[in-house]
Amino acid sequence: MTRIMAIDRIALAVAVLVVTLAVVGPFLAPHDPYAVDLANALHGPSAAHWFGTDVNGRDVLSRILYGAQVTLPATVIVIAAATLLGTLIGTVAALGGKAVDEVLMRLTDIGLSLPSIILALGLAAALGPGLRSAVIALALTWWPGYARLVRTLVREVKDAEYVDAARMLGVSRARLVFRHILPNALNSLYVQTTLDVSAVMLVISGLSFVGVGAQVPSAEWGAMIAAAANNLTNGWWAVAFPGLAILLTAVAFNLVGDWLRVRNDPTIREGVR
Amino acid sequence: MGRFLLRRLVTSVVVLAGLAVVTFLMTQVLPGDPARAAAGRNATAEQVAAVRARLGLDQSLPDQFSGYLGRLLHGDLGTSVFTQRPVLADVAAMLPASVELVLAAMAINIAVAVPLGVYAAYRRGRAADVAARLITLLGAAVPVFWLGLMLQLVFAAQLRLLPLTGQLAFGQQVPRITGMISLDALLSGNWVAFGDALLHLVLPAVTLAAAFVAVVARTVRSSMITTLDSDYITLARATGASELRVVVRHGLRNALVPASTILGMQLGWMLGSTVLVEAIFGRTGIGAYAVTAVLQNDLYAVIGTVLVIGVVFVVMNVVVDLVQLWLNPRLRKAAGRERRAEIAVNA
Repeated sequence: MTRIMAIDRIALAVAVLVVTLAVVGPFLAPHDPYAVDLANALHGPSAAHWFGTDVNGRDVLSRILYGAQVTLPATVIVIAAATLLGTLIGTVAALGGKAVDEVLMRLTDIGLSLPSIILALGLAAALGPGLRSAVIALALTWWPGYARLVRTLVREVKDAEYVDAARMLGVSRARLVFRHILPNALNSLYVQTTLDVSAVMLVISGLSFVGVGAQVPSAEWGAMIAAAANNLTNGWWAVAFPGLAILLTAVAFNLVGDWLRVRNDPTIREGVR
Repeated sequence: MGRFLLRRLVTSVVVLAGLAVVTFLMTQVLPGDPARAAAGRNATAEQVAAVRARLGLDQSLPDQFSGYLGRLLHGDLGTSVFTQRPVLADVAAMLPASVELVLAAMAINIAVAVPLGVYAAYRRGRAADVAARLITLLGAAVPVFWLGLMLQLVFAAQLRLLPLTGQLAFGQQVPRITGMISLDALLSGNWVAFGDALLHLVLPAVTLAAAFVAVVARTVRSSMITTLDSDYITLARATGASELRVVVRHGLRNALVPASTILGMQLGWMLGSTVLVEAIFGRTGIGAYAVTAVLQNDLYAVIGTVLVIGVVFVVMNVVVDLVQLWLNPRLRKAAGRERRAEIAVNA
């Protein structure tokens, strides 16, 4: 058990570090991430360029530090928009009566019935390639999971005694929903959103890698890997390090999500994980 | 049970109809003139006008949608601007190679994830469990496309153990029977090509499987833990059955039921993930086709791929439900009970 706890503490530290780097990264970056320097193209890791330089002679470390400011905010926007949409639809489904519930849940089924990367690929292609399209497409495909979760959570809470009591006291419907039902129902939603950070990040960088997300010369991590893939054998560092950045960030957020889930659920905490 | 199936089928039809609406909307949000997009960048004014009339783009939106739905039902997914062939024919030609890759990845997935999950559950809380957790953690966090490139770098470029890209070595040829190269080689009795096709499958299949191993291993582990703690396992041990027999025969058989649901769902997800894998390894397939289509601005080809993968996904879900019903007698009874309850209500 103690071993696992140590992992959690490290994960939390790494997650905090990544977020901090995303904020202050540009101040730490040793070089201009967009400065082309063909004389220094494809130099391996050295004291001057810790993570080497890419095919255009740009410093890979600096680009990764700047890239955090592209990938992480895009991820947060997707999750925030999807959570908002999912909460709205899930709440209305749970409280709106049987017909409304049926319609909204079938709509949710459609969303859940496709791999989000495929749906997002189609939407992003229709909207025209670009990080903005990828973010919009992903937000539009990610909400159904939240809608279903919120619907379950709200249905659990809405018949609780304290909600009945508030209702009998003549509390308005809006106040009932926003003050009494939602705050309690959404208590455990943040666990899911944390666990989703890595999944969304992987899809965003995947879309960029494929070419429908962030475009060159953006320092988005997936786009960096795509741009460096052609020089894999003579410039592996330009592929390896952005990927490691994604991997490390995803691991950290998954561990933090796991930790939140365990903390939130006494039945797992007592037993095994 | 018949009623359960009927309801499941109705839901699937609703989902497919929804998919048609969503893809129709994709053709509508396209900035600019959809007729010009469908006709291609180099089309003349007459060609664009002809396409406009054929697609009914001069009609009202509901009329356009019913036309679209009619074409879909006739298997008309439009024409690819890039290949100048019907999208359905393109996708049908590409699908077998992707299915081959997905099946290979699924085999690796099961072979790695199930033993890993069982062992981690059996040695719960010990070093092996922590190691298994670490592996699943990395599997869930690794960018698929990056893993593919790294495997290429190490196993193909540096160690030269496996081929870098492609489906078959230069000079090898296999007659097209099923479209799955390894199977075609086997069917035509060409053992050299069969071995070669398998070697070409290893890296892409491992890459595709990596993200899915984590989920299966986790599921097997947690259901195995529940199973190993149950009374009948204690009883099996008390009868003096060997530890291996207790774990595999009594434990695993029950623990595999939840895993089988996830494995079935994963077939559909894997087909979606070919988008990230096939292009890296220079394989033809539906994923590589979709990526090319996106980059070529070939909207109908993209939408066709989305539709076909969506249909496969929906069909897979129904199959998974059927298998579940067959595997788990308790569910079968529950479906019957539900029906009896409904009859009682109706009467």
